[in-house]
Amino acid sequence: MAGLDANNTADVTFDIASADADGGGTGLKVRITGELDITNVDALESAVGSALERHPGRLILDLSGLRFADSSAIALWVRWSTAVHEIELRDVSPILRRVIDSMGLADTLNVKP
Amino acid sequence: MTESGPVSGAVAGPARGTEGEHVSGTERAAAHSRRWPFWLPAGVLVIGLVLTGVLVWISASTYSSNERRLLDLRVREAGADFTGAFAAIQTPLASAAALADATSGDVTKFIRFTTPYTVGATPTFGSVTLWRVGADQTGPLAVVGKPSELSATPSRAETFFASTAASRSHLGVVGLLAQPRPRLGYAFTSPGLTGRYVVYAESRPLPANRRSKFQKSSTFSDLNYALYLGSAQRPEDLLVTDLKKVPLTGQTASLSIPFGDNSFTFVVNARHPLLGSFPQRLPWLIGIIGVLLSIGAALLTLRLIQRRNHAEELASSLERIADENRRLYSEQRTIAQTLQHALLPETLPKIQGVETSVRYEAGVEGVDIGGDWYDLIALDDHRLLLVVGDVSGRGVRAAATMASLRYAIHAYAAQNDPPETILTKLSKLVSVGSTGQLATILCALVDVKARKLTVTSAGHLPPLLISDGTGTFIKGAVGVPIGVNTGATYTSTAVSTPPAATLLAFTDGLVERRGESIDTGLERLQRAATANHSDLDELLSRLLELRHDSDDDTAIAGLRWLD
Repeated sequence: MAGLDANNTADVTFDIASADADGGGTGLKVRITGELDITNVDALESAVGSALERHPGRLILDLSGLRFADSSAIALWVRWSTAVHEIELRDVSPILRRVIDSMGLADTLNVKP
Repeated sequence: MTESGPVSGAVAGPARGTEGEHVSGTERAAAHSRRWPFWLPAGVLVIGLVLTGVLVWISASTYSSNERRLLDLRVREAGADFTGAFAAIQTPLASAAALADATSGDVTKFIRFTTPYTVGATPTFGSVTLWRVGADQTGPLAVVGKPSELSATPSRAETFFASTAASRSHLGVVGLLAQPRPRLGYAFTSPGLTGRYVVYAESRPLPANRRSKFQKSSTFSDLNYALYLGSAQRPEDLLVTDLKKVPLTGQTASLSIPFGDNSFTFVVNARHPLLGSFPQRLPWLIGIIGVLLSIGAALLTLRLIQRRNHAEELASSLERIADENRRLYSEQRTIAQTLQHALLPETLPKIQGVETSVRYEAGVEGVDIGGDWYDLIALDDHRLLLVVGDVSGRGVRAAATMASLRYAIHAYAAQNDPPETILTKLSKLVSVGSTGQLATILCALVDVKARKLTVTSAGHLPPLLISDGTGTFIKGAVGVPIGVNTGATYTSTAVSTPPAATLLAFTDGLVERRGESIDTGLERLQRAATANHSDLDELLSRLLELRHDSDDDTAIAGLRWLD
């Protein structure tokens, strides 16, 4: 499990928003667009990390714009799942869904169709 | 064992480093040759001074020739005045001589004619006398005005008159007569019909010290002048000048004015530059500016050279640093590869009835160590544990986690733990919350004699079992990866193997491609593995070709029953 050449960072953008209105308690909604792998997963972690500490209740990852995620991205989501009360992966592509299933992580990451 | 062992990797590193140093040596020499020499500013200075010199010379000579041309023009203009004055001397004398000749030396008529020239405020002559030409001079026939100096020395008069009469112009100048005050004497002989007569006149005394200025209002007030008798410009021949000291210095122009058998020389120089002071100073100005510009250009060149050479030094030292970095990178990469291989088993256990083969292929061309590994652990003479694992992430941390998991599995296997127990125990060792890492592990217990497989998966891709040209993925229960949950439990799936079966366990690098479903990759593997009936080692080599520029690490472990 590894990513691209470290000299060639994959293209990714994050939109981080409070998800209070979505449900009760403190929540966070993160929309990830592009490709996520070992070359930029640290950027996602530092972008979301502090917000996650303020909103430990619920984390919603909107993956509708995510074209690719490698195992280091999945490892990060699993780590987040242990840090928040509840995690939810939305709009997961079939390809990614299959990878998550093959790793036995569909329940851990609470993948919604 | 694998396609590139640690030994060959270690050899490749230093060899590359040496090559890098060699290249940097030649680059340094090239950088040195690109530097500009320090004689360049001196060259610039010399060129600047030479150019300045040429310009100064051109402007000075242009000035000088223009000044001379102007002075020549002025001396001719001024000389014309004198020519007129000399005509005023010559004409009365010639007329008087003609009169004397015509009247056979009529003294009364001579006196009447010449008297007007000796009287008045500015008489033309000091004295005018009439002489008869010939030997035995006794004195003048008539004297008008003051007595002439020549009368005192009749022999001199005789010689002078004779030479005047012989001359073509019939006009003679006796030269300066010193006493009592300097005067000029002129004689004119008529061409002569009967008796030959000579009219001799002396000028009014010359001014004291021969000094006489042009009038202030004169157009020649900007000139110094000197008038000489004859052409030699000797001090004793000086008639008149406006200077205290002769001869005239600097640029002079002269004009020769014929007078009888003699001549006058009129010499002038300019008191002030005739062209004005600016053209005169221009060469100096050009010289000063040129020298300053030359020095400035030389200093600028020096500065540029210093900067350029400094930049070259900087560039060459940056090149050296880059070379050093390349060498270090290559060295580090070699170390990483060496470490990677050191963490994999050096030798594979030999079990009667099966052959085994393994492959490890690094994905990224970088210094990072991957987290993939394989392992084959002999439990007794007919059982072995086949393990393939993949730690998420890269680098030393991933390698360290991989190493600790690998040795933990060895320890649990030594306790005879079944695969599900091994993974359950492993899950207590790693937590993604603390290390940020997950590990997927496939653990298969192979009973060679009983032809039985017991497979346990912690989030890992299923192994492929091939028999009789058919490949089947052993899809049992898949537990979560190690690290997700320290309380995770795992279950095993037991499978009986047909004769001459082949078991292949692998990591996702072998099948995963970006933008493609993992099932497509698995099908590709299945096809490639069943189409080939060569020996196990060859099969694994062929399967590695499926990777298709994968940037991911790949580990494969294969086992084949020999019956």
